[in-house]
Amino acid sequence: MITPIEAGLLVFIVATAVMTALLRDVLAAIIVFGGYSLGMAILWIVLQAPDVGLTEAAVGAGVMTVLFLATIARTTRLTGLEATTVDVNLPAAALCVVFVLAVLTTVPALPAVGAGPGENPAFGEISEYYVEEAYDDTHVENVVTAVLVAYRGFDTFGEATVVFAAGVGVLAVLRRGVFE
Amino acid sequence: MSSRRPYVESPVIMATVRLVAPFVLTYGIFVTLHGASSPGGGFQGGVIAAAVIIMLSFAYGIDLTWEWIDKRVLVGLVGGGVALFGAIALGAVLFGGQFLEVGVYPIPEPDKYGIELVEVGIGMTVAGVVTSLFFTLARGAMPPVGEDGESGRDDEGTAATDGGTFSSEAPGSEETGGDGPVRDGPDAPEGGDRA
Amino acid sequence: MIEALFARYNYVVFALLLGIGLYIVIDDENLVKKVIGLNVFQTGIFLFFITVAVQDGAEPAVTSTGEGTFVNPLPHVLILTAIVVGVSLTALALALVVRIHEEYGSIREDVVVEVLERD
Repeated sequence: MITPIEAGLLVFIVATAVMTALLRDVLAAIIVFGGYSLGMAILWIVLQAPDVGLTEAAVGAGVMTVLFLATIARTTRLTGLEATTVDVNLPAAALCVVFVLAVLTTVPALPAVGAGPGENPAFGEISEYYVEEAYDDTHVENVVTAVLVAYRGFDTFGEATVVFAAGVGVLAVLRRGVFE
Repeated sequence: MSSRRPYVESPVIMATVRLVAPFVLTYGIFVTLHGASSPGGGFQGGVIAAAVIIMLSFAYGIDLTWEWIDKRVLVGLVGGGVALFGAIALGAVLFGGQFLEVGVYPIPEPDKYGIELVEVGIGMTVAGVVTSLFFTLARGAMPPVGEDGESGRDDEGTAATDGGTFSSEAPGSEETGGDGPVRDGPDAPEGGDRA
Repeated sequence: MIEALFARYNYVVFALLLGIGLYIVIDDENLVKKVIGLNVFQTGIFLFFITVAVQDGAEPAVTSTGEGTFVNPLPHVLILTAIVVGVSLTALALALVVRIHEEYGSIREDVVVEVLERD
C-alpha cells in the first residue's frame, strides 16, 4: 500500500510539473523543473532503484538544469522571477485531459504497484536468471552493472556511441570553434 | 546589458568550491570504479566528475575556466572513452572469444575487471561529453564584469550595438551564422521574447 | 474502477505526467519550455518502467547469492541509460534552440513563424 513518503513525493512531483507548465517566466519554470527532478530522484530511491536515483540526481537536477539556464542566459533577458502564470489554452488542455483519460483506461489492466512474480508479468524467468546467476557469470555483485555491461553490452556500446554522437552533433549545430 | 546583472565573484562561493571540488571528483571516480559492488557505474560517475568542472565554472567564471582547461584532455576523454570500450570489446576477439566476451582475457577475474574497464570507458566519454556540452552552450553566457571583449568572442561588441530588438529587424535573418556581426550576442536586447 | 486506480497510484501519476508534458509541448510558444515539456513526458515514462520493477519488500539487486527478494534489475538498466541519452539529446535540442535564436532573434515559436512568413 502507499506509504506517506511516497504519497508526499508523488503530490510534490505532480504539483511541480503543473507549476512548470503554468509559469510564464522561463527562469522560474526551469528552477521549478530542477525541484521536480530532485523529487523524482528521491522517488527512485524510495522505489528501490538507487542506480537510477543517483543518475537522475546528477543529470536531471544538476546538469540538465545548468544546460537550461545556460540556454536562456544566451537567448533571453534575465529579468528575475515573475510569478505570473500563462493563460490556460482550453482546447489544448481539453485534448490533454482526453489523452490522460485514454491512458487511464489502460491502467486497471496493469499489475498493482508492488505485485510480485505471478501477478506481475515483468517478473519472469529472465529477471530471476539475472538475480540468481549474475554473480556466478560475472563476479559482479551489483546486478544492474552486470546487466548493463555484460548481458546487454551491445546495447550499452550503442548508448555510449549515442552520447558521443550527441556531443559531436551539438558542436556541429553551433559551429563555433570550440577546440581552437 | 542594462537589465543583466553582471557576474560578481563571491569569495564565499569560491572558497566553498575550492574546498568541495576535490571530494566531489574523488566521489565521481569512486562511483565509477565501485559500480561492480555497489550502486553506481560509469554513467553516474562520469556525470558527477563533469559536475566538478561545472561547479568551478560557476565560482570562477565560465570563460576563465574554459581557458584553464586543456582541450586535448577533453578530446582525449570523449574519444578515448568510446575507443577504450571498443578496444576491450574487440580485444576479446583476439583472445579467441566473441565481441565483448571479456571473460577470455588472461588476467585474474577477467569478468570483473573487464566490466570495470568498460565502466571507466563509459565514465570518460560521459564526463567529456557533458563538460563539452556545457561549455558549448554556456560560453559567453556569463561575461566577466566590465570586460565585454574578454569573454572569448570576437564579435561581441558589434552584437551589442547591432543586434537590435526583434521588432526592427530580425537579427541575423540575412546572415548565415558564420562570421556575421550579429551572431548571438548575449547582450543583445531581446524584444520579442517575453510577451 | 476507482479502487483499481488507487492500487495503481504510480501509474495514475504516470498518466498525469504524460498529460502535463504533452500540454507543455503543444501549447507553450517558448521553445525552451517545449524542451522541458519533452523531459516531463520522458520522466513520466521512466516512472512507468521503475514502478513495473518494484515488488513489495524487495531490495535493490546487489547480491552475490541470489537469495532474497529483489527488484527487477532490467528496467533499471534501461532507464539508467535512457536518462543519460536523454540529457545528451536535450543538449542537442537546446543547441538547436540557440541556433534558431541566432537566425530569427527569438525563441518563441509564433515569432519565428512570423519571420518565416514575412521572408
